[in-house]
Amino acid sequence: MTPRRFSPVLLLLAVLTACQPSYHLAQQAANRIQVDSTTATADPGMASFLQPYRQKLDQTMNAVLARSTGPIEKSQPNGPLNDILTDALLQQASQKYGKPIDVSHLNFGGIRNNLPAGNITIGSIYEVMPFDNKLVILTLTGDMLMQLLNHFAEGNKLVVGGLRATIHDGKVQSATLTNGRAIQPSETYTVAMSDYVAEGGDNAGFLKNPVKREDINYLIRDALIDYFRQRGQSGQPITPTTDGRITIE
Amino acid sequence: MDALQSNRRQFLKLLGTAAVIGATAPEALAKGKTTQLTILHTNDVHSRLDPFPMDAGRNAGKGGVARRMSLIERIRQEQKNVLLFDAGDIFQGTPYFNLYNGEPEILAMKRLGYDAGTIGNHDFDGGIDNMRDQFAKAGFPFVIANYDFRNTVMDGRTQPSTIFTKDGIRIGVFGLGIQPAGLIPKAMYKETKYLDPIEIGNDVAARLRTNEKCDYVICLSHLGFKYNDDTVSDNVLAAKTRNIDLIIGGHTHTFLEAPVTVNNLDGKPTVINQVGFGGIYLGRIDLTFERGKATSTGQAVEVK
Repeated sequence: MTPRRFSPVLLLLAVLTACQPSYHLAQQAANRIQVDSTTATADPGMASFLQPYRQKLDQTMNAVLARSTGPIEKSQPNGPLNDILTDALLQQASQKYGKPIDVSHLNFGGIRNNLPAGNITIGSIYEVMPFDNKLVILTLTGDMLMQLLNHFAEGNKLVVGGLRATIHDGKVQSATLTNGRAIQPSETYTVAMSDYVAEGGDNAGFLKNPVKREDINYLIRDALIDYFRQRGQSGQPITPTTDGRITIE
Repeated sequence: MDALQSNRRQFLKLLGTAAVIGATAPEALAKGKTTQLTILHTNDVHSRLDPFPMDAGRNAGKGGVARRMSLIERIRQEQKNVLLFDAGDIFQGTPYFNLYNGEPEILAMKRLGYDAGTIGNHDFDGGIDNMRDQFAKAGFPFVIANYDFRNTVMDGRTQPSTIFTKDGIRIGVFGLGIQPAGLIPKAMYKETKYLDPIEIGNDVAARLRTNEKCDYVICLSHLGFKYNDDTVSDNVLAAKTRNIDLIIGGHTHTFLEAPVTVNNLDGKPTVINQVGFGGIYLGRIDLTFERGKATSTGQAVEVK
């Protein structure tokens, strides 16, 4: 009998077996633990680590700008926060630009928190708009404006000021400017928006070639702080409301 | 206190359910050759160092690093083998980030004893130079396999994967990041190159399983849980790869009440979990390992 040779297949099998993990999973269980005062006390060491950071922060952030009779919340397709933020940007951008602007736009995902009932502080505005994004004024043709509206209408994420729109199945059926101008394909319109979106953020790459782009060197957050400070100076608290500018059919 | 006990009971109940489902469990317990590993995880904490402010919002009073610290310390006292991970978007969301550029977030994570983290799109928000400066203070590795940082200041500051050994069990951990183009301003991510997460994920997981002999492979992902279109997500990744046991996800701020399981290319289960955002929840996955090769029924371990 000739001695048996190792077949390459058997060798390979032997190697693979040697590489098998030495443990295997027998059981697993999962649990999410809510972090609140009922599940954990604050660790004193961590609390004192944070203290100096918080102290300087509080000095800056606790200044009260305005008051609201209720929480101002974002929602789809309409929300009191959607309305007040875009109305604020339309007003502040027009002031800074020195001319009326037709439309203001915010990306829904860029609104990072709601505004509280009661005191609205500088900190509250930072929570809503933590990004250092600037307002830019784009001049767009009616066609490009419709493209912008359609892009954000998908998924009902259209957040605009100066405009009412009807959306069906993620497509804009009709759009009307509140200043009375009609949207004509080849006429031009001014839109105040975030430089983030103007530079193609939120997959809006089609905005990179507008008719004109003007930087007004105004942070969105600063525009909002200015707006809410003015509202506070009026002495009247804000009542959260939406005018239903977006209609879903 | 009551809630903690109730959480504990809930956990024990779930473990009980899992034990019934795990076909090999009774023998394993009889032989006493099992080893426990507890995975704790967060995602999209977004600079939420303090609890959410006490306003009328639904998250008022929840979260905060000081409470998370006590919670984690308590679990570490109860369990011998604990690993703590984060799935990205550490930065941006409270004025702490605007004032301090992420330093207290990273130093708090160091104190919390994170074992590894991956990179979220908002971690670029202070610019890539700031990412380098802040991550250098972390004391734990950032794993990301599909960002090529070679022409950036982050070159050499991350690694594709890392391996932990706990009581002889080898746990491979790698990271995957989201496509920066169209999401992050180019001025922030600069020359960072994005590589296909499925191709890279598959390669790295295979290397960890086969070459590095890992018993358990974890992906820290900032791809997002699931999308309506065919954009790559944790669900797509799980279905189109092999060798990933657990995906700890982020980006979409998805609050999963329990992990979901997706069958991978080999028909084996990949578990996906994500715990919302802001440190409202701490995710906890308790694993029991048994020595030796799995029996045929031992593969289909269900997470409850």
